[in-house]
Amino acid sequence: MFFSWQQIAALIVIILFAGKLFKQKRKKQINGNEFSLWLIFWTISALAIIFLKPLDKLTTALGLSANGINLLFYLASLILFYLVFKMRLHLARLEQDLTVLTRQEALRQASPSKNPPLKTDSDSK
Amino acid sequence: MKIACVIPAYNEAKNIGPVLKKVLPLVDELIVVDDCSSDETNLIAKKYPVTVIRHPINRGQGAALQTGNEYALKNGADIILHFDADNQFKAEEIPIVLAPLIAGEAEAVFGSRFLGKANFPPLKRYLIMPLARQLNRWLGIKTSDPQSGFRALKKEIWQQITIYNRGMAHCSEILFKTVKTGCILKEVPIHVTYHHFGQKLSGGFRIIKDLLLQKLSN
Repeated sequence: MFFSWQQIAALIVIILFAGKLFKQKRKKQINGNEFSLWLIFWTISALAIIFLKPLDKLTTALGLSANGINLLFYLASLILFYLVFKMRLHLARLEQDLTVLTRQEALRQASPSKNPPLKTDSDSK
Repeated sequence: MKIACVIPAYNEAKNIGPVLKKVLPLVDELIVVDDCSSDETNLIAKKYPVTVIRHPINRGQGAALQTGNEYALKNGADIILHFDADNQFKAEEIPIVLAPLIAGEAEAVFGSRFLGKANFPPLKRYLIMPLARQLNRWLGIKTSDPQSGFRALKKEIWQQITIYNRGMAHCSEILFKTVKTGCILKEVPIHVTYHHFGQKLSGGFRIIKDLLLQKLSN
């Protein structure tokens, strides 16, 4: 099986990222779930690059006009959109949690004023 | 009947004093929620006989109102009124907003700038407000003012409402949730003096985005 230089470049990049992933795992910078998720992602990416020709055939068999690499780009775009959307929702939940914490702290320190009621119309500043 | 007024304030050092002075004689308790102002809003508010609650982080007007509501409900308020700190609403209209609640004619009263003679900037009158009103109609809200911030509700209604939108989308959220309680809702005319434009067109789109995100994240 011969690889084009583009495939080789892509595989090198994937190997670099996978190496970084193992390093992060060893240093316990990421948890098991996250490690598995990214490992699956990079493995699928590497397999897709290695088997680009069969992927072309699969794309044609599915009746799509694009070739394999284009299909990969379309899928990558879809996944990215989904991840950004998920992240926005996650961020919205975090913002909500932060608001709740801020409110709890503010209410904990709140106390009624000890200032006397206003007697005149003059500004009490 | 204890009437509490919640005033959210963010960098309103210039306006907060006069507003407090005018509102104080009209309510039983005044709660200022300082949303982490970087100016002297907090110091000025503390000179008055009001409860000042300070958010350690800026969380937006909706969040400040919910904080004020929680404090007021915990301290025995029967009616909670929302009023702005920017001196755009008229304090002398507070009794008009409260009257239907005190008389038992309504459980929620919203001030409407469209029933009064508010001097809207053209973009706001002819584009933003009609769009907001249309959006509200899709949500089943038929009030004349889609974004009124001058409102008073009985405690029984507030107890059923939690404001999640911390930005300006809270106005639509409160209206929507009030309608959903099935309470008797009334609109009264109010007058507003605009010192600055307020909401821009982009702000309107942000409100729609915030409402959608809030719906999806819950």
